[in-house]
Amino acid sequence: MADYDENDQQMDCALDLMRRLPPQNVEENLIALLEVLPELTEDLLSAVDQPLKIRQDAQAGKEYLVCDYNRDGDSYRSPWSNEYDPPLADGNVPSDRLRKLEMAANEAFDTYKELYYEGGVSSVYLWDMDDSFAGVVLIKKVNDGTVRSKGSWDSIHVIEVVEKGRQARYKLTSTVMLYTVASGAKGDRQNEINLSGSLTRQDERDLPNEDASAHIVNMGRMVEDMEFKMRNALQEVYFGKTRDIVNGLRSASDLSESKNRERLQRDLFGQLKSRKD
Amino acid sequence: MSTTDDRIAKAAGFLLYSPPGEVDDVFNDIRGIVNDDDALQQHIGPVLAESNMQQFLAVDVPEQQSSVLITPYNQVEEGRYLDPNTRTVFRFDHLRREASDAQDGSDLVVPETEELRAALQKALSSYVAAHYSSGTVSVFSHEGSVVSCIVSNRFSPNNYWNGSWRSVWSFNPESGQLNGSTKVRVHYFEEGNVQLDTQSDFAADVKADRVKDMIAKFEGEFQQGINDGYVMLAERTFRGLRRTLPVTRNKIDWEKIANYKIGGELANADNN
Repeated sequence: MADYDENDQQMDCALDLMRRLPPQNVEENLIALLEVLPELTEDLLSAVDQPLKIRQDAQAGKEYLVCDYNRDGDSYRSPWSNEYDPPLADGNVPSDRLRKLEMAANEAFDTYKELYYEGGVSSVYLWDMDDSFAGVVLIKKVNDGTVRSKGSWDSIHVIEVVEKGRQARYKLTSTVMLYTVASGAKGDRQNEINLSGSLTRQDERDLPNEDASAHIVNMGRMVEDMEFKMRNALQEVYFGKTRDIVNGLRSASDLSESKNRERLQRDLFGQLKSRKD
Repeated sequence: MSTTDDRIAKAAGFLLYSPPGEVDDVFNDIRGIVNDDDALQQHIGPVLAESNMQQFLAVDVPEQQSSVLITPYNQVEEGRYLDPNTRTVFRFDHLRREASDAQDGSDLVVPETEELRAALQKALSSYVAAHYSSGTVSVFSHEGSVVSCIVSNRFSPNNYWNGSWRSVWSFNPESGQLNGSTKVRVHYFEEGNVQLDTQSDFAADVKADRVKDMIAKFEGEFQQGINDGYVMLAERTFRGLRRTLPVTRNKIDWEKIANYKIGGELANADNN
């Protein structure tokens, strides 16, 4: 194993920094970081999750999502037509068997996306590994909504699959990036609140893999369960925890009054108690 | 400026985007990224000063039973700050965050606004004690106005969160204009990086003896606005992005999707 060298240290510090800088500006932060550490460009681009970008597949007439997983040089592969844009003569594509599975997975997650997101864009990319395969399920939903509320949701599910006879082991790493902006009720006054961020969770399961569609069923269930959990976690963390923290920074009511009230209650309780005794 | 200098200056600039209570962590990250302490030292000084003033760092005034905020409004010269309440001027080391070299600052008191400043300091101190369990307020005379800075921090890194409330209020006694800006930032970082960022500006014409009441009113409305915003985010924005369950209220039947839409094709693929 290589020693912990200068680049490792810089990479660790860069990733720690990205976990602290405002997620509202993840793209600007990453660009600035790449200017500081140009020699780590490839590593940083693959390690730092960014909001997904949407492209149009002119041939298939459908939108798809681009990320580091369907990139080859400066071109991106569409999951619908399997073509690179800008065109690449010898771009990386999955083996025939995996491409069939990829097409099926794209169909299935397109349905999933409609049922849960009622819109948005999804893309699934698979790639061959030594004696297995891996893939990524991407979903993006943007709500331009009204002036008072807008948001976007990006899910990135990376799945490593190891096939072992009639079983397969699935390792899932999921990141959800959420961006939400709303204005408070005070009509004419600008009071915009921006609550944004990302959460990452992992799951690992051994599941039966007995027929051709089993991979789709297994990956589908894992992604669905994970998104269910993460949506709840986001709701709790985003809208519960951070709000409690705000209201802990400032008390809407007079703290000395509430202290007085507590004292009164204690006195009253003491009197009641002594009456009972 | 050489390319290396540009890169180091750029890295140092990240400090100004540090979440509340995490300036030291961000500083350590920058140090590890730059990996050249001598070069970093040449660039970090002004950034640290700006960061401490931006965060309204509270410091104990040397030789006095008093604390004061480090802000752009009480910086009398580079690295020296005034505590108007004890009329002390002192040196502040932005890297070590140490105050020293206390001297009499009576000649820095602005006679025209001192009475108003002292009255506002007294009124706002009791307001801050009533509404901020860990708040600090410093009031300064600055360029003809009286500037009040309020900060309330709560840091709980062991529970993966830090939060900060900062507001600055500038009252010009001649025009009767009160201008204010409040900002709240919260960082929640258990298995992720979630941040609330919200800011609001206010302006009003007001009599000097009503300044404290106006500040209390505006800050209360700002807090209420954040709470309203949360309701909007949870009930409208979030729900509009992803449903908890499909309309059928059941999880998806993946067997059916896989077999119905594509099973045939995959079976064919296996036979090929």
